[in-house]
Amino acid sequence: MVITALTMEDILPFVTSKANKKKVDTDAILPFIILPLLLLLCTLSRTVTIIVMVTIAMGVLYVCTRPHQKNRSSFFYSWTLSSGIYLFLVFEFGVLRLLEITQVENFVLLVLVACTCYFFHKMKAVADFELATGSSKGKEYRPNYPYFLAGQIFAFATLLFGTNLGLTTVCQPFIFIGTILMPEDCSDVYYQMDLAICFVSSVYGVGYVLIIALVLLKQIFVYIPKYCEPQWRRIVNVLNV
Amino acid sequence: MRNVPKKKIIYGAVVVIFLIVLLHPDMNGRRSYEYIPKEAILDNLYYAVTKSFKLNNSTNECDYRDIVFDDTTLSPSLKDGDLDDGHKIRAGGECAPLECRPKFSTAIVVPYRNRPEQLHDFLIYMHTFLRRQQIHYRIYVIEQLDSLPFNRAKLMNIGAKLAMKAGFPCLVLHDVDLLPLRPANLYACTYNPRHLSSSINKFRYVLPYLHLFGGAIAIRADQFRTVNGMSNQYYGWGGEDDDFYSRLENKEIKICRFEPATSVYYMLNHKPEVKGEQRHALLDRAEKRMPLDGLNNLKYTEIAATLHPLFTHIMINI
Repeated sequence: MVITALTMEDILPFVTSKANKKKVDTDAILPFIILPLLLLLCTLSRTVTIIVMVTIAMGVLYVCTRPHQKNRSSFFYSWTLSSGIYLFLVFEFGVLRLLEITQVENFVLLVLVACTCYFFHKMKAVADFELATGSSKGKEYRPNYPYFLAGQIFAFATLLFGTNLGLTTVCQPFIFIGTILMPEDCSDVYYQMDLAICFVSSVYGVGYVLIIALVLLKQIFVYIPKYCEPQWRRIVNVLNV
Repeated sequence: MRNVPKKKIIYGAVVVIFLIVLLHPDMNGRRSYEYIPKEAILDNLYYAVTKSFKLNNSTNECDYRDIVFDDTTLSPSLKDGDLDDGHKIRAGGECAPLECRPKFSTAIVVPYRNRPEQLHDFLIYMHTFLRRQQIHYRIYVIEQLDSLPFNRAKLMNIGAKLAMKAGFPCLVLHDVDLLPLRPANLYACTYNPRHLSSSINKFRYVLPYLHLFGGAIAIRADQFRTVNGMSNQYYGWGGEDDDFYSRLENKEIKICRFEPATSVYYMLNHKPEVKGEQRHALLDRAEKRMPLDGLNNLKYTEIAATLHPLFTHIMINI
């Protein structure tokens, strides 16, 4: 998956400009085909699910350890986008069809999804503007950073809530605290195709939750203090005067 | 308005339609529904006992107020325990309180096939549960022996017929994998048929749709006869409960429920049953079949009927 696409890119650096344009297109489309196939493959059994998820995780690790400039393929953007779209579709047309989600829960999830989309969209718009005008030159932090952070937080909340709803729907849940349910027994999910799809998608979503959690932790400990420092200093200066 | 681009209007419209579809009540379950409030339960109950039931010598009648207002929640792990030695359950799984005269006689009809551990757990749990409620009851387990797909509704009809023959005025049609957790969920009939299991843990304590009438239900014997019982034609999982609901609707019999907190059930885990292939086609003609398909054309072969210590076991070939 990740790896095959990368080797393709690495092996063929000398392609002509025409073929190059075509390659970019395949890079963008490939995730939309690979991801559903992988998820379908996962529905076979528990073992297959574990193998596929571990492979994806290793692919992510590999990509993260590579130098940044090598990752400028549309493949990664496309992968994230397709993940979001497929998870959303599985929830709204798979999990919802089982009639175990209430209207309020569905509404809250839709609001969270809308917020996530809004902040990521805004992040990209600001970045594009900045690229076009070159307005951010010389600044240590890019002006779209708040949008990036808000997008990550909302994505985290959306995925956490969505996967919890999905898993408690297909598995046997128990009451965790108050009205919050947690999945308890997921042994029956592979007998039925529709349940299995919802289950593996939720597990994939949990993987994303973990990655976003790491990103957010990094923000908390590394970037936020730095980002706040200049503003903080300004306030201190004002107070000193 | 003139300044808004057409594209935006189209996008907006698509999003709105999408939201209407996704948030439509038919696409979502519900945790709240219309129910009989606790204070009104005693007035809505159908007080009747079997005529043949030999009343004990007790002069005072049982009081059900405390039971209906009981706040305790039982643990499903009671199924792993055992009944106390002096349990006073008569052969055939019949039991009645000794300290007072019960006001209800209920036959619990359980269709069954090939889940011995689950049946064991169910019986232990249900006797523990039902003896708290001070009602007269008897558990009928109807087992399908042949190799045809499971016909839940027909087994219900057979059990109901036997129970009505024994004079039971109230039937509880019950799945073997459901355990009621609240003793306040009285196993007696209300004037209208009642859906008992509207808050099952497996369904996230959500009622999937308003006219769901499966799992565990309580219905008066005379009403069960009025609608000609359930349909005999549903082989495999699904559809028979919706068919039964349409029969009640056809005779303008409304269903009722107790509040969600009282109707909590625990579902035992099991592999899903084979789904019935004909269920959608059958459901389309449900109302037309009602007069001809049900109790009045019930045919089956009874292989054996035994009185076990905890239940009446009827083994049949469909």
